[in-house]
Amino acid sequence: MAVTRERLTRALAPKVVAVIGDKQASGYNWLRSMKDFDGPVYSVQVDENEIPGIEELGIPNYKSLTDIPDQVDFAVCAVPRQVAPFIVQGCVEANVGGVTLFTSGFAETGEEIGVELQDKIYEIAAPSGLALIGPNCMGLHVPGLGVRFNRDQPAGVQGNVGFVSQSGTHGMNFSLTGAAHGLYCSTLVSFGNGIILEAADYLEYLADDPQTEVIGMYIEGARDGQRLFRTLREVAAKKPVIIWKGGQTEGGGRAIRSHTASLASDQAIWEAMIRQVGAVAVHNLDEMIDVVKATLLTKRTQGNRLGLIAMTGGQSVVLTDAFEKAGWKVPTLSDESYAQLAEFFNIIGGSYRNPLDAAGTIGQDPKHLDTIFDILNTDENIDAVGMELSATFMARRWQDKPEEFDRLIGSLKKFMAESDKPFLAALHPSHVEEAALTARQRLQEEGIATFPSFERAANALRKASTLAAV
Amino acid sequence: MAADVIAAARSEQRTLLSEVEAKALLASAGVSVTETRLARSIDEAAAHAAELGYPVALKVVSDKITHKTDVGGVELGVADEESLRAACERIHERVIAAVPDAQAQGVSVQPMAEQGVEVILGITQDQQFGPVLMFGLGGVFVEVLKDVAFRIVPLEPRDASEMVREIQGFPILEGVRGQPAANLEAIESMLLQLSEFAEAHPEIAELDLNPVFARPDGAIAVDARILLTSDS
Repeated sequence: MAVTRERLTRALAPKVVAVIGDKQASGYNWLRSMKDFDGPVYSVQVDENEIPGIEELGIPNYKSLTDIPDQVDFAVCAVPRQVAPFIVQGCVEANVGGVTLFTSGFAETGEEIGVELQDKIYEIAAPSGLALIGPNCMGLHVPGLGVRFNRDQPAGVQGNVGFVSQSGTHGMNFSLTGAAHGLYCSTLVSFGNGIILEAADYLEYLADDPQTEVIGMYIEGARDGQRLFRTLREVAAKKPVIIWKGGQTEGGGRAIRSHTASLASDQAIWEAMIRQVGAVAVHNLDEMIDVVKATLLTKRTQGNRLGLIAMTGGQSVVLTDAFEKAGWKVPTLSDESYAQLAEFFNIIGGSYRNPLDAAGTIGQDPKHLDTIFDILNTDENIDAVGMELSATFMARRWQDKPEEFDRLIGSLKKFMAESDKPFLAALHPSHVEEAALTARQRLQEEGIATFPSFERAANALRKASTLAAV
Repeated sequence: MAADVIAAARSEQRTLLSEVEAKALLASAGVSVTETRLARSIDEAAAHAAELGYPVALKVVSDKITHKTDVGGVELGVADEESLRAACERIHERVIAAVPDAQAQGVSVQPMAEQGVEVILGITQDQQFGPVLMFGLGGVFVEVLKDVAFRIVPLEPRDASEMVREIQGFPILEGVRGQPAANLEAIESMLLQLSEFAEAHPEIAELDLNPVFARPDGAIAVDARILLTSDS
């Protein structure tokens, strides 16, 4: 029996949660991670030595799932592998919506006992319609409901990034590092061995989830590649999908006699598949965060011509290099723009060719930045605007004179509100990292797409602009 | 027709189809290939050539031989019957020398196709995604530069259009240095035919059409290699 959408929704957006088999030895990680859950949390533990510690946390403990006086929607199970089939049986009997099996030691070990236990779990869960997540996974994180598997994950904040991960670590890292970049998950699922529900099931859920605006995925391989391909083709037409493919699988011992077969490496096929469905490929966590950020915070453009604002001549040069290497053009501005810029631009130690080397001009009168933005907004040679925010020169000054930073933020937001052209900023790490961090956090809170290098900014905007869904 | 060719290979426990079989299979699916006939004797080769029209290409047919050029099994641009008889003798001598147990069934005879930009189209089976299509420039481009594009089957028309334009060498297809542009629609429709062909024949493990001549007036496969899956 297939898992129904209603059952899956109960599991992924639960009203009642149970944690099965949490222990002192793990610091009651699972129970503590649920402390901000927006609803009742129950514990199931039969070990008399563990129960007092659980009750000290203020969480009611029961010896069996069926004893819980509530209908459990989502259960976390962290029991030894031999016990796992019995717990899954209990979930079926108690009509639990879904269960995540943190327990590992199954088919991924290659051991006979692991494979047997996994098969047993499958045989119990499959006919019942139970939404089984895993095994060998971290499970579910829904910050809006306070569902967490790690205590550093955010709770009480409604995110808009759906994330599907075959790996617990990469899912967790996205939720933690992403949050530090101001990116919060709507729903994150780490699905491990995925014996009942696999990536395609979660993608379909996220495609229909109104909270999810963009979908990220970390994947190493697909059991049913055709289903994943067809699902992605549908999902990526609705919402932007960003895919990080980890690992290279072996071609196997097949007889290769053709050019086609010898060139069809795992990486080549995955990259082609990702392009074909209208998703975009990324290759590490940083790039995932950058492209999700650009997708959420910048407008889309069909064009590839960038207007750039730098703070020094040297940065003008490397800013241009970074964007052109990523496939952008940095053209000359229109004659009309030059005529307008000539009226006020300080060309002593500055230049207004493109990039505009503008620190002196803006320093003279901050209103000039608004004028520059107006000119770039109307210039027909320009499709998008990028700006260097120099922590090296400015972070201390922003610290000393916060009103100047407020003014800068105001100018950026005014341009973003008035123009259809995407805007992004680069703020490199600097020698005054504490002040730069404050500035970075503020930019993030204001919803300004800020990247830690020109290269990352250029790449993120490029990749975001190739997505099928906008 | 298609079933006959595959059944014949299966009954002989062969996985590699001959060029003649492969082209017959492709032609039955509507894919443009040069008409290619099997000749078991020199007289038969001469008769085929007379019907197909000179000049012709001759290639050894043996399921022991995958790369026919490497063993001297190919003669191109054979102009008349006298040259054809001599060419058949040369192929025989060279192949016997290179592969003593070749057990050649004969030679294939096909008219020399009008040249175009050499491209390669292929099918392979991916463990995860099933049949996959490849497109690239043929000859040295595929051998050395590996300048190719892949798509998962089934292809939509947009996929065919995009994969043709995705390769680095795409400007060559548009015509460089006075060379005429290749007919891109013809390449794209051949890709879409192969996508359907791959869906219809899951028993095809690997296929290379190399080269296909991409010309202003169309595209035609002048060599074809098909390998069946080992399980029937």
